[in-house]
Amino acid sequence: MSISCSELTKIYEGGKSGWPALRGVSFDIKMGEFVAVTGPSGCGKSTLLNIIGLLDEPSGGRYALNGRDIFTLSDLERSDTRRDEIGFIFQSFNLLNRLSALENVSLPLMYAGADSAEMRERATALLRKVGLHGKEKKIPLELSGGERQRVAIARALANSPKLILADEPTGNLDSASSKDIMQMLVDLNAEGITVIMVTHDKELAARAGRNLRMRDGRLEQ
Amino acid sequence: MKSLLNAVRTGLTEIWAHKTRSALSFLAIAAGSVVFIDAFSAIFATYERIEKQKEVSGMARVKISQNYSQTYSSPDDYVPPPVLKYDDVLSLREKLPGFYMVSPEGRDWRNVLEYGEHRLTTSVMGVTPEWTKRDFIYTLKGRFLDWHDVENKLRVCVLVKKAAPPPGNLFNKSMLKKYNFTGGFDMLVAHYDLLGKTVNIDGFTFTVIGILEELPYSKRPGTITGSSQEYKVLAPVTTLIHYNFIGQQSLDLNIDTGSEQNFDESIRKINNFLKIRFGDGDFFIVENQLEVIRERIAASIKSALVTISLGMLAFLAGGIGIMNVTLATVFARTREIGIRRAIGASRRDIMLQFIVEAVMLGLIGGVLGSALGYLWGVPVKVMLGMGGSPIKPWMPLVSVLIAALTAFAFAIYPAWVAAGLKPADALRAE
Repeated sequence: MSISCSELTKIYEGGKSGWPALRGVSFDIKMGEFVAVTGPSGCGKSTLLNIIGLLDEPSGGRYALNGRDIFTLSDLERSDTRRDEIGFIFQSFNLLNRLSALENVSLPLMYAGADSAEMRERATALLRKVGLHGKEKKIPLELSGGERQRVAIARALANSPKLILADEPTGNLDSASSKDIMQMLVDLNAEGITVIMVTHDKELAARAGRNLRMRDGRLEQ
Repeated sequence: MKSLLNAVRTGLTEIWAHKTRSALSFLAIAAGSVVFIDAFSAIFATYERIEKQKEVSGMARVKISQNYSQTYSSPDDYVPPPVLKYDDVLSLREKLPGFYMVSPEGRDWRNVLEYGEHRLTTSVMGVTPEWTKRDFIYTLKGRFLDWHDVENKLRVCVLVKKAAPPPGNLFNKSMLKKYNFTGGFDMLVAHYDLLGKTVNIDGFTFTVIGILEELPYSKRPGTITGSSQEYKVLAPVTTLIHYNFIGQQSLDLNIDTGSEQNFDESIRKINNFLKIRFGDGDFFIVENQLEVIRERIAASIKSALVTISLGMLAFLAGGIGIMNVTLATVFARTREIGIRRAIGASRRDIMLQFIVEAVMLGLIGGVLGSALGYLWGVPVKVMLGMGGSPIKPWMPLVSVLIAALTAFAFAIYPAWVAAGLKPADALRAE
């Protein structure tokens, strides 16, 4: 999964001329890298991650994902790319609280058109992989923060993505859980998955292969 | 297909998870269903009644009666107007042979009927066998008057036995009590089997050769001509003339020309006949009942349209209810939409999810409403004395279908709103 961005800008609507979140960001990420994006609140980290993950569109600049210009992708192609090639991990987990751990992990498989036996088998295996064997039936509210984030990781891995995007994945966790989650990301990266992680935490950032520091919508070099 | 199944599963989960909201949506659409089924069955009943009435009364009807409102320029001009006699009826029959029915009626009032120790007033109507051809809403015991009776002026009669008033009809009961409709003659016929017996009418003995039992109200279409004649004792018109019951009074003449196509032509012929026989002057009213019947049918159709539009409005209200609920759902679940989009749901998936959920609300509401509509239409209405609605098995099916379609139509906009949310924006929602 290679990512190539040049002069990315993002201007949020509002006010007279809008509010610029990205003011020209250029970087390349090669397949298999572990990149940490750091910087103070409001510097545009999350916006950048949303754009990389095709959840948002840049206002200007160029962004090629695996060599494909994302401006040429239809909405359906973006959805399919998110489903098949990208896994998201959020600070607040973003699990569906009415669904069990197993059902949450099954969702991406459902959208990929898997049948229910396939879904159950794969989701069970993924939950076992993240250490939640026996907790398949629990709903998120019955799980600890660390466990919820593991469910989220299992969900992110459902369709074997090549890119994991983690937005402050340890932001809501205690230090022990944080360590676990970080170790998982490192292990996933070792399996060849490209990981991009937004974080405040300098210690965590230090474990990444490469750091991108942001300030006021720009990269600090 | 698979995504549809998944959407159904998700929808059921959501409906179950929000029981109050779902119940309210069911009720909104169910209310529509109830009104719709009621309206539909009412329309169907009207349609069936009209068809039956057409069959029973015929369409191409004419009624000839004496014109009582002659105008004279001065009292000296007054000459007794001509009357329609039985000879005239026979002549018309002969001159205009194609008509399906030519039925004269001559009524006498305040006749005294005696049977055993019973003595009561009634009203005798002189008719011919033609009388049975139209507006015949009876079952006959014994036999009806035949031409032999008429030609020989026999003193035979047929008595009419009234049907019991519709059950549970409070209004009718009180009316009956107040006006004592069931008293006297009706009671006598109801309680004694007079077939074959001899009764005495105004001093003349008549043999009862037949009893006409009115069909029960539920099976009677009513007469489309709007005739509200009360028939009690029917006897040959010639007999009543001969024994001076109706003497030289003018007969009424009910005609069925037999064909709507040549109706105007028939009316012209009838007018011509009257003119030749009685001369100029509006001595008789030739009532074009086809026009009246058509007006009645048109009025029925109009009221049916009003009723069905009420049913449709009810569905519209239900649909708006569903739209409101679905929109509220979309806003309440914006974050969820963002999550689903992030993990790969396409716009189509999101749209399908909300539409399927709404359609299921509509379907379940429709089924509920059909059940309630049936309960309202049959047992409850009967209990209230309104008479059950003739609900056909396909009406609830149509109603459920329309409920689902309404839900579908009204879910499109909210679902489109949901599908149009940008994933990043949706994820930021609280």
